Amino acid sequence: MLCLASHAADPVFFESKVLPILQQRCFECHSHGTKIKGGLALDSRSGWEQGGDNGSAIKPGQPEASLLIKAVRYTDADLEMPPKGRLPTSEIAILEEWVQKGAHDPRTSGASKPRKGIDLNAGRQFWAFQPVRDPAPPTVKNADWPADPLDHFILAKLEEKSILPVTDADRHTWLRRVSLDLTGLPPTPAEIQAFARDNSPQAYETVADRLLTSRSYGERWARHWLDLTGYADMMGTSNGVYAEHAWRYRDYLIAAFNADKPFDQFVREQIAGDLLPATSTEDRAENIVATGFLMVGDIEIVNPDKAKMETDHIDTQMIKIGQAFMGMTLGCARCHDHKFDPIGLEDYYGIAGMLRSSPSSHKMPDMGVWSTINSTVLPETPAQLAARKTLESETEQRIAAMKTKQKKLTEERASVMAQLAALGKATAPVAQIAAATDNAEREVAPPTKTAPTADKDALTKRRDALDADLKKLAGDINHAEFFKDKTPRAFAMSDGPQPSDMPVYVRGNPYAPSNVVPRGVLRVASWDRLPAIPTGQSGRLQLADWLADKRNPLTARVTVNRIWQKLFGTGLVPTVDYFGARGDLPTNPDLLDHLATRFMRDGWSQKAFLRTLVLSRTYRLSSANPKSAFPDPQSKDPENKLFWRMNRQRLDAEALRDSMFAISGELIRDSGGPALVMENPENCASLSLKGVNPPNYAHKVPRPSQEFERTIYLPVFRNNFAGPDRLRSVFDFINPAMIAGDRPQTVVPTQSLFLLNNDLPRKRASALAAKLIADEPDELARLEVLWLRALSRPITSTERAEAAALLKAVTPPGKPTGSAAWTELCHSLLASNEFVFRL
Amino acid sequence: MKPPSRRNLLHSFTGTALASLLHGEALSARNPLAPKPPHHPAKARAVIQIFCPGGLSHVDSWDYKPELTKRQGKPFDAEGKLQFFASKPGNCQQGWWPFRQHGACGRWISDLFPRLAGLVDDMAFIHSMQSKSALHGPAMFMANSGFILPGFPSMGSWVTYGLGSSSADLPAFVVLPDPRGLPPGGVINWGAGFLPAVHQGTTLNTDPARPPIDDLFPQDEFAHLKGDAERQSREFLQTLNRTHAASRQTNTELEARIAAYALAARLQLSAPEATDLRGESEGTRKLYRLEHPDIGPFGRQCLLARRLVERGVRFVQIYCGAENTTAKKVRPNWDSHEDLVRDHGYWGQILDSGAAALLTDLKSRGLLDGTLVICTTEFGRQPAAQGAGKGRDHNPGAFTAWMAGGGVKGGTAHGHTDDLGFKAAEKPLFCYDLHATALHLLGLDHEKLTFYNNGINRRLTDVHGHVIKDIIS
Repeated sequence: MLCLASHAADPVFFESKVLPILQQRCFECHSHGTKIKGGLALDSRSGWEQGGDNGSAIKPGQPEASLLIKAVRYTDADLEMPPKGRLPTSEIAILEEWVQKGAHDPRTSGASKPRKGIDLNAGRQFWAFQPVRDPAPPTVKNADWPADPLDHFILAKLEEKSILPVTDADRHTWLRRVSLDLTGLPPTPAEIQAFARDNSPQAYETVADRLLTSRSYGERWARHWLDLTGYADMMGTSNGVYAEHAWRYRDYLIAAFNADKPFDQFVREQIAGDLLPATSTEDRAENIVATGFLMVGDIEIVNPDKAKMETDHIDTQMIKIGQAFMGMTLGCARCHDHKFDPIGLEDYYGIAGMLRSSPSSHKMPDMGVWSTINSTVLPETPAQLAARKTLESETEQRIAAMKTKQKKLTEERASVMAQLAALGKATAPVAQIAAATDNAEREVAPPTKTAPTADKDALTKRRDALDADLKKLAGDINHAEFFKDKTPRAFAMSDGPQPSDMPVYVRGNPYAPSNVVPRGVLRVASWDRLPAIPTGQSGRLQLADWLADKRNPLTARVTVNRIWQKLFGTGLVPTVDYFGARGDLPTNPDLLDHLATRFMRDGWSQKAFLRTLVLSRTYRLSSANPKSAFPDPQSKDPENKLFWRMNRQRLDAEALRDSMFAISGELIRDSGGPALVMENPENCASLSLKGVNPPNYAHKVPRPSQEFERTIYLPVFRNNFAGPDRLRSVFDFINPAMIAGDRPQTVVPTQSLFLLNNDLPRKRASALAAKLIADEPDELARLEVLWLRALSRPITSTERAEAAALLKAVTPPGKPTGSAAWTELCHSLLASNEFVFRL
Repeated sequence: MKPPSRRNLLHSFTGTALASLLHGEALSARNPLAPKPPHHPAKARAVIQIFCPGGLSHVDSWDYKPELTKRQGKPFDAEGKLQFFASKPGNCQQGWWPFRQHGACGRWISDLFPRLAGLVDDMAFIHSMQSKSALHGPAMFMANSGFILPGFPSMGSWVTYGLGSSSADLPAFVVLPDPRGLPPGGVINWGAGFLPAVHQGTTLNTDPARPPIDDLFPQDEFAHLKGDAERQSREFLQTLNRTHAASRQTNTELEARIAAYALAARLQLSAPEATDLRGESEGTRKLYRLEHPDIGPFGRQCLLARRLVERGVRFVQIYCGAENTTAKKVRPNWDSHEDLVRDHGYWGQILDSGAAALLTDLKSRGLLDGTLVICTTEFGRQPAAQGAGKGRDHNPGAFTAWMAGGGVKGGTAHGHTDDLGFKAAEKPLFCYDLHATALHLLGLDHEKLTFYNNGINRRLTDVHGHVIKDIIS
């Protein structure tokens, strides 16, 4: 050791003894050539002087105060380095000596770079952060082609590449396309015939307006939005904890889309509805429910570490806000400046401070480590209040009635027990009777004189029946009392008692707070300073105003791109959720800005915007690949990035299921309200607010109507995320743990098996066949109707012959074609590719 | 099942033009399950992963802790500072089963696993496993996908994404859940996350009374037509589809969808064949103890796994236990909070019998060398009793996993826990290293196996992971 000590300040000692240890044991994670974990680089003197997230790593001359020494000694479980295992004692001794003697380190290379920071001016040059422009529609050679200014942008690009757009789709195809796109349902035969007969120039407008004003429109487009929220009717993935108010947010969305709430207003409500002025009780309630946007996602509520849990909740909300409105991956900036985009820790913690000022969960007082999501009592109109009071008093009466019954049955049971006891005594030896003289039951009901065995059996049977009834009754009473308060509530945001700025959490760790950053928004996408946040407020209102401002370069672009993607299959920016540096560039930037400008100019009306899109020439194009179009667009733009034809889309899970029910005539059109069947005590368990696990829900007994409701109204579970409805899991329904604007459209054999063998399409085929047979006695006419209903087009003569042949082939000789044959034919159509695709 | 009609069905789908679609260059170039070359030569071509949900106690099984025995009955946390997941620590509790040395390697294994103990020279243990969550769901997700949040691709999905399928007739990634039900977290455990959905695990029903795959056949009451009539009906459907596709040249989705029908038809033959154990010898049936009412079902899962791997399935995951609810007679998985002897005793004999049979069977058929067998759990259990009871609480600080076959060096171990088995002490690691090692044995470099998602090249191992070199040959 003496020998070592004498050399400790010697450069040779450093080079020969210390440096090899650092290189072999530390550089893998702490040098510029590899990684700089925890912000600590050990490849230069300034690296360890400046240190990492925990500060300077070495205090020369003070091994006891040096984090590096502490770490290699493995004495603090939270700071053990290297993580793979303790160094040999001899190596630790070398490091201790080196630090003790002043930590001589001649290295200046490795260039410990100070935190680079974000170059905002450079960042603003990126297209997505540039202000939205209003380019003039370009002139095109084929001036007759465009039906709308947007078509000029499309055609100009095509003409540039000498690509001819394909021909228009036929009217049947267009009608089915627009009906499915706007409402998620195919047109009815009557609607098809009306459109076919309408020769006026406004025929297409008439259809678009009819669809946009139908209730089905909101039911379809609200579901698209739900994909961006992580919506489910359960809170986390653990223990079946139900999110009993989530449905209010879903119903709010359907109403908001149907009312064509201006999107800027919609955005404000999502982020800060609770802080907005309202002119009526209904508006106020709506505004509160709207903030469910930030509450309905996948939130783990059973973490014992509440600080960590809060930080994770905020992160979930940050990711959601970033992705839904900005097309930015804000979550990356939780631990470090964004690696690719000009978003810094300051930006992240600026917004996070607003969310931290509005807590979204609280610990359940008598429920172990469990927390729950905050809810707000909704204001009620006098009529709503009166209706609720009536409901509550009915519940009270029902409880009273059940209690009366319980009392009666309890008394009867006592009587039965006494009779049984008496019977026992009547036949029992004398000694036992003597022993039982104190039995209180004897006095309740004196034993009857007659006591044959048949009586005993009857009494035992009765007792068992009473026991079963009483058990169920006790459960029902407990259930009714647990849910007797019918006060309307919603999962909603509200400002906490002490809104404040928050510190940057080093590496996202709430136990390593660093400098406090002022609440704010993305600087790179800002045109001015954020208005001051009034004292006592979270700042969500300012964030909402910033997002909904016409000068925000992201919100309108992201939104029109999402809507475009739903109609055309691919976004103008194909990465619809990510507009950052590593995302796709817009394939037609002028068109994107043209659409964003129009969207804002038309008062952020989504209906007006959709109307524009579906009436455009581009939307009207056929989806067929022409076999030998000249010049061949397939070779020039095989991916159809320039939209020279329409993209086919496979029906998503909702459209597929809803269409089947619509075609079979079984769809229930009037739905809404709670998705979970909480009113059935069989579905609820642990109904107590004290215990180890909170009350929970299992979807054992669905509401009978749920089989026939539109898919958006079905409960969404997290564990088995499609729950009882297998169709959703087979056809790419979004996993509610994910937030994604674009669902995959997979092709897997389980889908074919589902369509062929699952009872859902088979039952629809039966119902459809029965309906056809009842409605249309003539078989040929019946075939016409079937094709219109299922495929939204007239049957061809070949198909007519083939269908007739099939009907004949599957019918026993000499018999009339019955419902079985028709069911089989209907089933074939519902399983066909033409039905499964929207062309 | 009516074999003749299924066979006809197969012909109706694969006949003529469809056959060329299925095997032709055009489709395989786009088929996401087409076999892909590994990054480096592989030692293993398939994986069978046995997952023991609920939390298998390392101190009662694989991790020999004589110091814990010495401290039996003494307070574990005299100062009362610690808080376990659901309880305060009770006294030190030695392993409930005595430990003995086994095999040429002389590793210590408890009497909970007498059969596996006899195979210890084929097994490599990782004693220093840790998890980032003490909750079943998130810890399960972590063990399967590397992330405690749901929604990330599972290891099986990554493997089929990296290597494709080597079976034309069966899914590449098959999950065999416990017949009692799904494990904590359910289907998310074998989800494909952001990877294409073809990579998600396909569950095979392990209850022999049910068809092996949902919707493989129609329920009887909805089977309108039988035999020849059904075939005619299916031919009509394919006519519709062909006519539809004919007017739409170079339409890959439509081709793929027609092919999917053909694969579905093949599954109708291949899945019942793969799950039909009648052809297995009496010796094999006895080896897996199929007739035993408690042990048999897991034995069946293990035997099915072998059959699937034989038929080219790339990744099979077997669950030894279901959801973590409270006990009726015995807990439905390893989550032994109140009576460890009862629950680990029950599940122990099940795992011991099935896993030992699997290793023995694979070995005797020459399959073990190319099949990586992994046995994992989501976290361990505490070396102290749970409160004053006979159970143990969750311990994310330490647990043991083992591997065998497929390039693993048997009889070895990596890392260890502290003297009591409370925390991983030497070479502590997370699932990342296990995942990196498994991928390595399959010929995949965990840092190169990436998928672009919203600006990030995602990996199974996130930004972590080292191949554990000392347990591979």
